[in-house]
Amino acid sequence: MKFYVCIKQVPDVNAPLQIKNGQLIQDTDRNSLNAYDASAVEAALVLQEKHGGEIVAVLIGPDKAKETIRKAMAMGADSGVFIHSETDTYYDSYSYAQMLAAYFKNKEFNYIFCGKQSQDTDAGLTGSMLAELLGLPYVTNAVGLEFSGDVLLVRRQGDTGQEVIELPSPGLVTCSNDMNDPRIPNLKGIMQSKRKPVESVTSDELQAALSAVKTKILGYEEKPGREAGKKYEGEADEIARQVARILDETENVI
Amino acid sequence: MSTLLTYISVNDGKIKRSSLEVLSRCNELADIHNLTSSALIIDKDASNISEQLKAYGPSVIYTIENPVFKNHLNTPLLKALSLAVHSIKPLVVAFASTESTKDILGALSANLGAASLSDVSEFELTETGVKAKRPVMASKIVSSVESSDRLTLFTVRSGSYDVSLKTAETKVENIPFSFNDEELKITLKEIITASSDKVDLSEAETVIAAGRGVKDEEGRKLVEELASVLNAGIGASRALTEAGVYDPSLQIGQTGKVVSPQLYIGIGISGAIQHVAGMANSKVIVAINKDSDAPIFDIADYGIVGDLYKILPPFIDELKKVKSEK
Amino acid sequence: MDEKFDCIIVGAGVAGLAAAMILARNNLKFLLIEKGEFPGSKNVSGGVLWGSDLAKLVPKYWEEDAGWDRFINHRRLTFMDEQSAFSVDFKSAHFNETPYTGVVVLRSKFDRWLADKVQEAIDSSDYAMDSFIATNILVEEVLMDNGKAVGIRTGEEKFYADSVIIAEGVNNLLTRQVGLQDTYVPADHILTGVKEIIRFDQKVLEDRFQLNGRSGMSNEFVGYCTDGIEGGGFLYTNKDTISIGLVLGLKDLREKEKAPYDILNTFKQHSVISDIIRGGEVVEYSAHVVSSGDTRLMPEKLYKEGLLICGEAANLLINTGKAIQGMDYAMRSGIIAAETIIKAKESSDYSETSMKRYQDALENTYVMKDINNFQDAVHLLHDPVMTQKLPNLLCDFGRNFFSIKNEPTPKSRDMLRGAIKRHSSYWELMKVGFKGYRAL
Ligand SMILES: Cc1cc2nc3c(=O)[nH]c(=O)nc-3n(C[C@H](O)[C@H](O)[C@H](O)COP(=O)(O)OP(=O)(O)OC[C@H]3O[C@@H](n4cnc5c(N)ncnc54)[C@H](O)[C@@H]3O)c2cc1C
Ligand SMILES: Cc1cc2nc3c(=O)[nH]c(=O)nc-3n(C[C@H](O)[C@H](O)[C@H](O)COP(=O)(O)OP(=O)(O)OC[C@H]3O[C@@H](n4cnc5c(N)ncnc54)[C@H](O)[C@@H]3O)c2cc1C
Ligand SMILES: Nc1ncnc2c1ncn2[C@@H]1O[C@H](COP(=O)(O)O)[C@@H](O)[C@H]1O
Repeated sequence: MKFYVCIKQVPDVNAPLQIKNGQLIQDTDRNSLNAYDASAVEAALVLQEKHGGEIVAVLIGPDKAKETIRKAMAMGADSGVFIHSETDTYYDSYSYAQMLAAYFKNKEFNYIFCGKQSQDTDAGLTGSMLAELLGLPYVTNAVGLEFSGDVLLVRRQGDTGQEVIELPSPGLVTCSNDMNDPRIPNLKGIMQSKRKPVESVTSDELQAALSAVKTKILGYEEKPGREAGKKYEGEADEIARQVARILDETENVI
Repeated sequence: MSTLLTYISVNDGKIKRSSLEVLSRCNELADIHNLTSSALIIDKDASNISEQLKAYGPSVIYTIENPVFKNHLNTPLLKALSLAVHSIKPLVVAFASTESTKDILGALSANLGAASLSDVSEFELTETGVKAKRPVMASKIVSSVESSDRLTLFTVRSGSYDVSLKTAETKVENIPFSFNDEELKITLKEIITASSDKVDLSEAETVIAAGRGVKDEEGRKLVEELASVLNAGIGASRALTEAGVYDPSLQIGQTGKVVSPQLYIGIGISGAIQHVAGMANSKVIVAINKDSDAPIFDIADYGIVGDLYKILPPFIDELKKVKSEK
Repeated sequence: MDEKFDCIIVGAGVAGLAAAMILARNNLKFLLIEKGEFPGSKNVSGGVLWGSDLAKLVPKYWEEDAGWDRFINHRRLTFMDEQSAFSVDFKSAHFNETPYTGVVVLRSKFDRWLADKVQEAIDSSDYAMDSFIATNILVEEVLMDNGKAVGIRTGEEKFYADSVIIAEGVNNLLTRQVGLQDTYVPADHILTGVKEIIRFDQKVLEDRFQLNGRSGMSNEFVGYCTDGIEGGGFLYTNKDTISIGLVLGLKDLREKEKAPYDILNTFKQHSVISDIIRGGEVVEYSAHVVSSGDTRLMPEKLYKEGLLICGEAANLLINTGKAIQGMDYAMRSGIIAAETIIKAKESSDYSETSMKRYQDALENTYVMKDINNFQDAVHLLHDPVMTQKLPNLLCDFGRNFFSIKNEPTPKSRDMLRGAIKRHSSYWELMKVGFKGYRAL
């Protein structure tokens, strides 16, 4: 079994940020492995522990994103592929999907795992785009994975319930973080990651596959603010009844 | 004349309100830009459903009907959508954002070579494509985005627009479609449905959301009682869906569902940004939490500081009284 | 891979990073372990790194536009009462010369930047593949064998080394675990620091504080700011934010049942402060314990066989009212600790005698000299006369001295006399004055 996991470095959404002249500024420039991709890595590791195989983490990004590949390898991925791109702000999901598709074109593998979305943009497009560009069957929003023989059984969260889908190899899955709790690398893992091979690919050749970037960010703005309203503290019975009345009389939502 | 095409999401023979919201917005834009607005139903009962849709006034309702659409599966849906776009040649295709439409949006745009935008909260047309707003950074801020493609596909968050009825001359046009099982590639083995006939969360007028503070059976009973008094949908934070207390389809937030009810009541929920991402657009937000510093109070209109086990009984009692007075 | 390290350093704060830098430069094979998600993620500090030791670690750091925010060329010490502020203000072009003697740092950025520098040093050392900075790992135990430190344990994993440097900061659990400090630490000499970061438009900030380029200001406060609790306040200008906060006696807080955050709010509402912070947006709040610099809290011995303790883990810090110095002490002690380990490795001697060199060397630096010389100043700062009466007195005097009332104006000598009578007594002042004279 060979698994590729596509991982992305994203800005830490919990870190303070500000908008200046429509531009997004991150004070601390703190980045992390996309949480959904961490779940994808974890899912692959669990399958590998049971069934063997090889896990390769693939990332497109600028130099500073290399540490994110190390993170995946410290978790347990066997090796990494670093596709260097000058920027991480200009490309949209389509661009990444095209570059990834160009990379995977002549590769052999059983399954590609992606995150179901990027934590910063919540786009949720790259995975299924990549599958379509490679002509692979795919399942998105996976919340559970297991093998039945050589075929992957994927549980996905659908609109009304969970759909259990048989996905033949080669195929692609996008993973939800509801699937598992990604392991935190231990010291051995961190130390070993340094010796694991990372193949460097320049994006020049892959960029050839890139048609025009189709969507563009024009700018950022604050969300229409929500002010903190009124806080009720004190005797439970009294404040509970008070708010209940207000919901009816003032807000008219009962 | 070019058309704005709205894909109509159907659940169990019923049209999802969120896709009517999108259709209403497209109707409005079509009027402004002197275009037409049309709708597409892909379902095993598409022609029956088209009757329900006429009241919302699309100029054409396209239907694709096939038993394969009984359950959601991306392969046939993609094929049908691709076929529809090739024959209708719309300017844009708009979808309500659901797990099913999110499943195919990327693949469809790759298939058609079209631009795509997911989960937008506002959209308008430009000379060359679509301009939209979408929440980013766990919905802490909003980005403006633009597509510059002839064809743009996008999904729209529920609650972004109001539904309006429209009387118009509506044509229904069937697009012939065939599908054989060999094309399926993936096989649906089973559907594990959440306990049925509950209110659909993303469309509920009132949502009660339970968090880690709801610790036991007694807490869940209180939540249920409150929900039944208010005829509300029950949702949950990840803390509880992860623990298996509530069905994962009830998770509200960045990973789960986006809700925008008239009234949201968060019970024992701290208000992590990833949860807030899915409910911040609720009209009135009430929070019950024993920690007066819980971040949910920063966005709640009414924050009740206290133990939910002590707050809920009188709260429910008072609401019952209010109801009975009506 | 499983072979021994020369050294394991616990904690990637200023002390640990400084030690690591020296070890990397001298080709030692080491492991630096930090429990935070990244270096700096757990560190709170008001933010002025005093002195010029940073240039020892990163020569010409000032040529870089990262890690550090501003250098201090403007200092102010403010005495406050409820409505007024009486300041001693000093600004000098001397301070504009490199190496600067005070730079403002935001720890979440600075520690990471310094860690990157250490990584660079590792990469060009002989142990590029064998020395590590590992984050998100909690060291739970220092492994001892017959009184000698031999490694560390984290979870189930054990790692071995010839030496261990504990640079774990003020919550020095490991220091206590190896028996160099009592497990029970009385609250008397412990403070708690609370801090907010408030953001402004950079231009507004620069105009408001008269900053030019990368120059910055530091302001210390005594008096009303702490609402009757022993301690003081501080304000530093960062790039486009200010750090504002208080350092408060833990015991006093407990006894008077006050919450640090409430006091910080009162401080911020003082008319003088509210004018300064107007229009700013609070972007971060944090709280952290800090030692007082009282030697009674310091471990007597900072070493064991194969083991050294540096930085605030050893309570190396001083707060004299005009500045908190903890980071520079941490840095220097980290450097000396590393140098001691390097020497020990050369002679393969990690015995107590060999480790003792660290403490001896430290005694001869400004770190221990200042700590010992300024103990009285430390005590003075906790004297209510100093934190309450004196500020009130000065502000009272200031109010009279600076107001012009179209009435006969008393001589300033008389104004001062009046102020003293109202708030204190000559006798009390003489005592404090004498203490102050001895202290400084
Ligand atoms: C990438 C990513 C995506 C995520 N997506 C989602 C998502 O879609 N939805 C989601 O919900 N979370 C999501 N999370 C998780 C999120 O960060 C929080 O961990 C989660 O929302 C916490 O749930 P909670 O508020 O129920 O629990 P907690 O944060 O543990 O809060 C429990 C609260 O209950 C209060 N409480 C306890 N007992 C009582 C009592 N007796 N009475 C009153 N109050 C009480 C406590 O004071 C506390 O504030 C995501 C996280 C990540 C990293
Ligand atoms: C509010 C406030 C304001 C201050 N202002 C100033 C100032 O203006 N100037 C100044 O010089 N000093 C100031 N200080 C003091 C200064 O912050 C400290 O003295 C200094 O940080 C000490 O450095 P250190 O490296 O010894 O410890 P720290 O910086 O505390 O670093 C210790 C590190 O060890 C890690 N760690 C701890 N235990 C373990 C473990 N078991 N396993 C793994 N990792 C562990 C911690 O996560 C931490 O990163 C201030 C302090 C406070 C609280
Ligand atoms: N730069 C990238 N390098 C590798 N994988 C990526 C990259 N960008 C997106 N992906 C994959 O696509 C998923 C997110 O898609 P999207 O939400 O469209 O950005 C991630 O979870 C990754 O699996």
